[in-house]
Formats: sequence, structure tokens, C-alpha cells
Amino acid sequence: MSEKILQLSSMGIKFGGIVAIDELNLEVNEKEIVAIIGPNGAGKTTAFNCITGIYTPTSGDIYYLGRSILNVKPERITALGIARTFQNIRLFKELTVFENVIIALHLRYKDNLFTSTFKLNFKKEEEKIKEAEKLLKSQNLYKYKDEISQSLSYGLQRRLEIARALATKPKLLLLDEPAAGMNPQETNELTEYIKRIRDEYDVSILLIEHHMDLVMDISDKIYVIDFGKLIAEGTSKEIQNNDKVIKAYLGEEENA
Amino acid sequence: MKIKFLIKNLNIILSVIMILLCLAFLFIIDANNGSNKYLITIIEKSLVYAVVALSMNLVIGFTGLFSLGQAGFMAIGAYITAIFTIPIKFRESIYYVEGINADLATMTLPIPIAIILGGLVAAIIAAIIGIPILTLKSDYLAIATLGLSEIIRAVIASPMMNTITNGSYGLKRIPSFSGVLECFIYCGICILLMALVINSSYGRDFKAIREDEVAARAVGIDIFKAKEISFVISSFFAGVAGGLLAMFMRSIESRTFSVNLTYEILLIVVLGGIGSITGSIIGSFVVNIGKEALRVFDKPFTIFGFMVDWPIFREGFRMVIFSILLMVVVLFFKKGIMGGKEFTFDNIIKFFKKKGEKHE
Repeated sequence: MSEKILQLSSMGIKFGGIVAIDELNLEVNEKEIVAIIGPNGAGKTTAFNCITGIYTPTSGDIYYLGRSILNVKPERITALGIARTFQNIRLFKELTVFENVIIALHLRYKDNLFTSTFKLNFKKEEEKIKEAEKLLKSQNLYKYKDEISQSLSYGLQRRLEIARALATKPKLLLLDEPAAGMNPQETNELTEYIKRIRDEYDVSILLIEHHMDLVMDISDKIYVIDFGKLIAEGTSKEIQNNDKVIKAYLGEEENA
Repeated sequence: MKIKFLIKNLNIILSVIMILLCLAFLFIIDANNGSNKYLITIIEKSLVYAVVALSMNLVIGFTGLFSLGQAGFMAIGAYITAIFTIPIKFRESIYYVEGINADLATMTLPIPIAIILGGLVAAIIAAIIGIPILTLKSDYLAIATLGLSEIIRAVIASPMMNTITNGSYGLKRIPSFSGVLECFIYCGICILLMALVINSSYGRDFKAIREDEVAARAVGIDIFKAKEISFVISSFFAGVAGGLLAMFMRSIESRTFSVNLTYEILLIVVLGGIGSITGSIIGSFVVNIGKEALRVFDKPFTIFGFMVDWPIFREGFRMVIFSILLMVVVLFFKKGIMGGKEFTFDNIIKFFKKKGEKHE
């Protein structure tokens, strides 16, 4: 059995009286691609926000590499090795592509204010620049290096956001609807792309996605949630044949 | 080979030449300071304001924290500089109301040390107060810092502080700069230090926070720590600039550091360009020179031999024109004069190259 990267054990979160997520159990193993699917408002992004520390679950626990990460601050969770992208892309809009990536490298190349101000850290700075350039090259973003990130096309912005997340050297990468707003061809490319980053960067991937073709194609395991409740889990085949899922989710699409 | 080297470092070479030209220019007016008093005053004021404007730009423009406490931190720096540098022989006559605190009566510090001490005290106060208030967002932070600034001013002006700050009577006979060159050097060092911070990896973190706090945390930036650092550095330089302002004005009172001062600085920051170092400097000169140059409209004036003597051209009318000009600038340059960009020779060369390409 490979190592468990992430484990949610009956994690739940309530906002006031509303139960957003109820008793969610989920596991991500090493180098797995795991998908969370479910209708809009099912609580998928909320689950992501719990894992990355933006929200604190009101019940249950979250284990990362066997350690509870409940009540750990978002920036510490990133430092531990969980990186994410956002549903509605959150780049540093007015900064260049290069700056977006190099900022994410600060985490692993710590400087103090003095050496950083007086440029006594130039060797570290050179390493950072090299690594950022390498990362941009591997993501085919190098030619846009000096562009303002906001001016990139939608697909490129998504890719830059993933590159920025990879710069923190995560063990687990959370992708929130990476294919949103992409055309079928771009979606196909994304399938290969996600597999490639898993192999190249040795990360496990947990993703939320609505494109069923993509999910069925790349996921080792799929979790289906509806109204905050886990209704099914399994491989793509098992999910496709699960009555509950067809009723709650896929069925609606077939009727439509 | 040599030419290549020249072209590669053109930016640095031209910048150095520019600074040397500035120094030479200031040296010349310093030498004839009798006939250039007016000019010297404007330059010194612009330089000091440029330091404060940049310190404010550091929090507002680069870190995205809408802080309006600059005047308060300046007051701290100004009073500390004044208290420790006023010559001992004048002290008794200045503190004529209740006398001076016995411990302070004979204590003096060299000017640069007094200025730095002022900055440090401002920074310490900022560090303490920053812990609770930097978690506030935008407008709420503005109100909190504005309040802080007023509290500092009120404390300085309170009768209980009479033996230390001379309460509401103000302090006089603060030693001034030996010449405009000295002012230039102090201000230049401050601006250079802030520019270095802004261009360091910390500066990049600040900008990331300005752009998107959630994303900044997601890439592992400790946003609270970064905000605190930015706020403390900004307050330090506001304190230092307060000391420089005290030296420039030679006499200060608590009213000098009212909210109006903060607004005046904010105006420079916005006019020059939020998030532009050179913008703040240019903004400071534009505002200070503009206010003086428009003085002609304060009284009837002659243009092309015609005497214009409308009743509106009286004392204070220049501020009306000044305000109209400001509105025009803000309407046409929404992001201020520099709009977040920097004035460097590299950018100028790029600008002309692009223009050239278009013509071809």
C-alpha cells in the first residue's frame, strides 16, 4: 500500500445552522489523481477551503501525512506541502508572469529583511530566478515572462496558476475546476497536462471538476457529494454504474 | 565591446549622471544661498514631502493597506528631533509656561541620531498598534489609523505634557539644515532605503498581498508578518521625515500634524501614482512647486501687457485653480502621473523605441 497523503475523517462544517459538509471521509494516496464531483453548491469548494485552512471544520479531522492539520494557518499548510488553485482564478493580476512565480518561491528560499534589502542574498536570488525560469519553461510560459499576468488568455492564466502552485513544491495539489471555461480541445490537452505534472513533479492531485470526460479519464478514484453528503466513491466505472449517482447527478444530465 | 557595455548599463550610467547633475545644481544654489532662499525653501519642502509620500505609498500603494496615520508618526519624529536638538541656551525661554523637565533640560543628541531615534519610536508605536489594527480591512483600517494619528497629536498637545512637548505652545529654534545639500542627502538616503526594500523579496511579498490576500496566503506568505513589516518600515520613515520637517520648518506645534497633513501627503501619493516610487517624488515636486507658481493668481496680474484685475484674483484663489488642476489630472490620468510605473531611463528608451517602431 502506498502512503496516505491526505485523509479526511468524518469532517463536517456548519455555517450557522446550515450544514455545508456532513461527515466527509476521503483519502488521497501517493501519486493518485482523485476527483470530487457533485452538483453546484454541493460543498466541493468548501471542502477545499477546509483542507487549505481557510475554514476550520466544526467536526471531524483532517490528516496530512498522518498529522492533523486542523487549526493550522493557510500559509503554514502551504509550507507543509499542500498547494491549490482557485475556481475563479486568483493571480497577482497586476504583476508579471515571472513575478507571480518567483513570489511563490519565497516560501522555500527564506530571506531576512536586512540581507534582502541590501541584496546580500544575490546568490539565493539567482537560484530563485533560475528556478522560476525553469518552471516557466516547463509550463511553456517562458515567452510570456514579462507580460502582466492579467493580460494572458484564460487558458494561460489557469496554467500560470498551476505553475505558481507548483513553485511551492507541493506533495498534494488541489485543483478547483481546472477546465472551467475551456473549450473541448483545451480540455483534452488538460488531461495530458495534469498527468504530466503528476509524473514530473511527483504530486498527488485532488481536483474538483464538472467535465465528466476529463474526470472519468484521469481519476484513479472519484468521490461524489451532494448537499454536503458523500453519496458514492469508487473508480470511474463504479461511479458510472452507481444508481444513486445517476439519480443525483449524472441522471440529470442525461435528461437534459 | 566597450560600447556594448555602455548600452547595457545605460540606465545606471544615465541615473548616476542625473544624480551628479542634481548635486552640482544644489551645490551651486547652496553657494549662492542669499539670492536663492525662495528656491531652496521649495526644494527642501519637496524633498521632505517626497520622503513622507513614499513612506505612505509603501503601505497604501505597495502593500494595499489604506493607512492614514502618517501625520501622527511624523509628529512623533518631529517632536523627538526637536526636543533633543534645540540648543540648551534657548530651552528656558521656549518652555516659558511650566519649565522644562529636569532630565531633558540638558540632554542633547547629534541631529542624525535624534532623527533616527524619532523614527525608531514611531516604528515601535506602529509595531505595537499594528498587532490589533492590521487585521482590519480597507476603510476600517483607514479610520483606525486616522484615530491613532489624532490620539498622538492630542497627547502631544495635552497640558500634562507641557514640560516635555511644551503642550500646545509648540517648539521653536530647531536647528535647520546647513544647506539644501544636507537636506538632499538625508532625504536621498531615506528614499534609497525605501526603494531597496520595495525592490527586495519583501517588496514582492507586499505587492502580492496588495493584489490578492487569499492567493498570497495560498503561496505561503505570512500576510500578517508582511503587513506588520511594511507598516513598521513606513512609520519609521514617516518619523524620520517628521524630524526632517521639523528641521525644515524650524518651529513646530501640534496643529502642524493634524489630519490635513495626512491628506496633503495622500494627495501627492495619488497624484504621483499609487505604487510608483518615482511617482511619489515627482508628485511631491509638482504639488509644492505648483502651489508656489500659482501665487500669481492671488493678486491682479499683467498678461501680454494687459492688466487683469478681476475681483476673483485675490488672496487664496490659487488654491481654487490648484484644485481644478488636480481634478483635471485625476480625470485624465486615472492612475496618477506615473500610474504604477517607474521613471527610469530604461523605460524612457523603451518608450521611444516603441514610438519609433510605430512610425516605421
